[in-house]
Amino acid sequence: MADGYPELLKSLSADEADAVLALGRGLTLLSGAVLFQLGGDADQLYIVDRGRVNLTLPMQVFGQEQDILVEERVAGQTLGWSALIPPHRFTLKATAQLDSDLLAFPRSELLAHFAARPRVGYAVMSNLAATVGHRLQVFQAMWLREMRRGLELSRGTGGAA
Amino acid sequence: MVMFLMALSLSVFGLAMSALAFGAATRTQRTPEPALQPQIDLAPERFFGESRPAFHRQPNVPLEVLLLQIERHVRLEQAAAESFIHLPSSEALNLRTQSPLAH
Repeated sequence: MADGYPELLKSLSADEADAVLALGRGLTLLSGAVLFQLGGDADQLYIVDRGRVNLTLPMQVFGQEQDILVEERVAGQTLGWSALIPPHRFTLKATAQLDSDLLAFPRSELLAHFAARPRVGYAVMSNLAATVGHRLQVFQAMWLREMRRGLELSRGTGGAA
Repeated sequence: MVMFLMALSLSVFGLAMSALAFGAATRTQRTPEPALQPQIDLAPERFFGESRPAFHRQPNVPLEVLLLQIERHVRLEQAAAESFIHLPSSEALNLRTQSPLAH
C-alpha cells in the first residue's frame, strides 16, 4: 500500500489490521491479465497493493462485444467484494490495466477470522458496506443523468453545455 | 312609438347577449380541453445498450476511437456523480460534462 492501511481496514488497530493482512496471499498480474470474469465464482476478496485494475462490463458496439470501463481500482482499494456478499458471483470483469500487485483473501479464511474476532468483522464489513454503498450512489447518479439525456434526445432538446 | 322601439331594441339586444352567453357556455361543455398527457418517448439506446445516435452521425469513427470516447465519457460521468455525492444538489446532479457523447 502506498501509505497506511487499505480502506477495508479503516478504524482497525495496527495489530488487528496486520492480522487481517496476514491472511492475504500476494498475487502479481501483468498488464492485460484477467483477474476474474463476469459471472465467475467469487471466493476471494482482493486489495490492490500496487498498480491498477479495471472493472468492466460487456457492451455491443458496432456488433462487437467490447469491455466497457465501469470502475478503476488502485492501491489501497478493494475489489471482488462479491466474495463476501451472496450469491458470491462476480458481477464485473477485472483486468489489470498496469502490472499490478494484489492481496487475495479467501472468503472462508476471512469469515473464520471474523467469527473469532467480531469487532474486526464488524469494522471490515462496515468498511465494505461503505464501498458497496458508494458504488450504488455513483451509479444511481449516473443512471439518473443518463435518463435525463435520454429524455432530452427523445424530445429533441439536445444538451448544449 | 319611440318607447316601443326602444323596448324592442333592448329586448333584441338582451336576447342576442343571452344567446351568445349560452353558446359560449355550451361550447365549453361540449368541447372540453383534452387532458394533458405527458409524452415520454424514451430514446432506444442506453448507457449499456447499443451505441448512441451521435455515433450514427459519425459512421467513419474507428472502433478504437469510439471506445476511447466511451471510456472518457464514463470517467467524466463518474467524476460528475462523485461530485454530486460529495455535495448533493440538483445543480450538481445535472451538471453537464465535456463528454462528446453527452451532447
